[in-house]
Amino acid sequence: MESSELKRSKDSVNSCESARRSSFPDEVLERVLSLLKSHRDRSSVSLVCKDWYNAERWSRTHVFIGNCYSVSPEIVARRFPRIRSVTLKGKPRFSDFNLVPENWGADIHAWLVVFAAKYPFLEELRLKRMAISDESLEFLAVSFPNFKALSLLSCDGFSTNGLAAIATHCKNLTELDIQENGIDDIGGSWLSCFPESFTTLEVLNFANLTSDINFDMLEKLVGRCKSMRVLKLNRSVSLEQLQRLLVNAPQLAELGTGLFSQELTIREYEELESALSNCKNMHTLSGLWDATGMYLPALYLACTHLTFLNLSYAALQSVELAKLLAHCPQLKRLWVLDSVEDKGLEAVGLNCPLLEELRVFPADPFDNEIVHGVTEAGFVAVSFGCPRLHYVLYFCRQMTNAAVATIVQNCPDFTHFRLCIMNPGQPDYLTNEPMDEAFGAVVKTCTKLQRLSVSGLLTDLTFEYIGRYAKNLETLSVAFAGRSDWGMQCVLGGCPKLRKLEIRDCPFGNAALLSGLEKYESMRSLWMSACNVTMNGCRLLAREMPRLNVEARGGMPHHLSLLSEMLGTRQTENY
Amino acid sequence: MSEVELQLCLALPTPNITKGFKFNLNNYHGFDHLKQMSCSGDKTSRVIKKRDFEHAFGNFSDDCNALPLLLWSGQPNEEDDNHNDRKKTTFVTDDMNDVEVDQVVGWPPIKSWRNRTCHHHHHHHHKRALGNGRSIYVKVKMEGVPIARKIDMRHYHSYQQLTNSLITMFTKNEKCDGDYNARYTLTYQDKEGDWLVAGDIPWHGFIRTVQRLKILSNWG
Repeated sequence: MESSELKRSKDSVNSCESARRSSFPDEVLERVLSLLKSHRDRSSVSLVCKDWYNAERWSRTHVFIGNCYSVSPEIVARRFPRIRSVTLKGKPRFSDFNLVPENWGADIHAWLVVFAAKYPFLEELRLKRMAISDESLEFLAVSFPNFKALSLLSCDGFSTNGLAAIATHCKNLTELDIQENGIDDIGGSWLSCFPESFTTLEVLNFANLTSDINFDMLEKLVGRCKSMRVLKLNRSVSLEQLQRLLVNAPQLAELGTGLFSQELTIREYEELESALSNCKNMHTLSGLWDATGMYLPALYLACTHLTFLNLSYAALQSVELAKLLAHCPQLKRLWVLDSVEDKGLEAVGLNCPLLEELRVFPADPFDNEIVHGVTEAGFVAVSFGCPRLHYVLYFCRQMTNAAVATIVQNCPDFTHFRLCIMNPGQPDYLTNEPMDEAFGAVVKTCTKLQRLSVSGLLTDLTFEYIGRYAKNLETLSVAFAGRSDWGMQCVLGGCPKLRKLEIRDCPFGNAALLSGLEKYESMRSLWMSACNVTMNGCRLLAREMPRLNVEARGGMPHHLSLLSEMLGTRQTENY
Repeated sequence: MSEVELQLCLALPTPNITKGFKFNLNNYHGFDHLKQMSCSGDKTSRVIKKRDFEHAFGNFSDDCNALPLLLWSGQPNEEDDNHNDRKKTTFVTDDMNDVEVDQVVGWPPIKSWRNRTCHHHHHHHHKRALGNGRSIYVKVKMEGVPIARKIDMRHYHSYQQLTNSLITMFTKNEKCDGDYNARYTLTYQDKEGDWLVAGDIPWHGFIRTVQRLKILSNWG
């Protein structure tokens, strides 16, 4: 191939030695390495020797950039000439909770311009927390004739007009996945922009859009896209319409319903039940807005092979959930609202022995006065019934150290432990002590722990435990915790695999910040807001570590975001 | 007019957030506060449309009594007997005009699109509660007081009963000086989101529409 010959002549001067050492021809090595999918494995491979570095870069087709400010698009394009698929993440995670100012950055456009020149055959773009305008979406739609998959998660800056451009121009589109975005939903006409001849769509997710779409157009689109396997509708689609879609798409593997509440005749109900149960491949079910006990039974037959059930839009009561779960023996992932209460979670423990992931969201997060929700009892009940549990996100209003100790004893394989006691700084409600021992138990017992979110009243002892025991921890989220710089110093001095640290409203100051200089070299990002860090501390850090992008905003509260491995610079007006 | 201080000291070592909160009745003008509320744009603004406030201050319908509340003593309000409340802490900004003073930005960490869904669920729950005879919890705030209360509307059967109960709930001071018969107005937010003076509509209609209550001071 011409390109590899070119490459070899370029490298021949440099790689005489390595050519002697290397026992594989380049093409073979490239072929072997092309089978490597994990970007971490690829990074390791690229460090072996120059030959392997080159073989790796020529065989890589997907690039993952966890922090869009860590490298420039030009550098990426220079190193990896054959990319077909790009994943980019932008803003710090706390932007999801309105802690990052508007117009912070992470704009995709500069990347698209480079890609249009260097990767004209780009097929996939997956963005998380990036800013993307309608102009950029239009540019994307017309610049890449082979474009197949667009996934936007927690992005903002665009409207449904941008989606219309994608639908109009991307003739080979297989995936359009628009999730949880700050999208300006002007109307549902974008869906009608898919041409009549268009049949390739496999994934369509517009669940978080609010406008009505033209149902006739949707029905025709779903009817002619015979390979469609993922369909996630928005609220505007009724039960009756859902039934009509399903009879034409029984092959669906993932379904997100629309509104699950409507006056149905008996015949309509039976038709719905039948249409749902005919989806023999269905393993994921979501949507279910406003679902109540009345129509949930229509799902029962469809749930036999379900592995992921997302009920986080349906404020179910415990009895309703229990009845539903009796039909979901294969369930591995479950998302619910805390309206199901502890009794509902007991039912989870009883019915879902294969459960690996549980997320419990608060139905009324901002209303402390309404005392409902789940407590430590629910979590404990699940841990007894679901020994394979390894991912938990749990919002509650009370917790005890003893309960957490029991939970991790029952489920020692936690990889993701995200506990949110919603009242900041709340102690163990039985003993009135800090929650230090709870998280101590977590890090001591769960040796595979990768991600941890702590909450409740916590002293520096929690962070001593984390620094000492959490050997595999990569992501740590801390809020309203700790007593002094020592806490943060413990984490930065321990946790050998730490990549992302996000801290808000903690008494960690400059001494703590500056104790992590060595650590920041291997981290992706650090976020600190409303702590005791001063502008001078940030300046000192920036001076000590010129390769770091240190960004600080004055005023109350301080935002300090530290983006590591900076090879480019960020455009920012106020510094 | 004696100065009243309400200080909230929170058991957290985070100086940025936990500021003592000072409340001075002298400076508090209920009407101005409302004007400021209606100008503040986004979701914290409450625009009083249906009844003019000057009209409201001086005029009460027969079954609504102005609440002769006593001056706030400065002691934290004791919540109802509920062990969950025991450990509650409230965060205060130093912006006295903030209507929702007990919320921290970005906490709990729920994504904003999920908030919209939650809000909808809350109202949905309300509707169902009326149907099944379950409790209808309504938040009650007194202007200038950070800690809100919650009451179950099912426990009351008339405006008189409600206001008597609120008087008991919000008064603490034994030492009352000459100003203890300061006047307050009970307002409520209806299903459409409008703030109205309580007492205008029959009780039965009132409990079906009330979302939250606010006791406003008549100083000014």
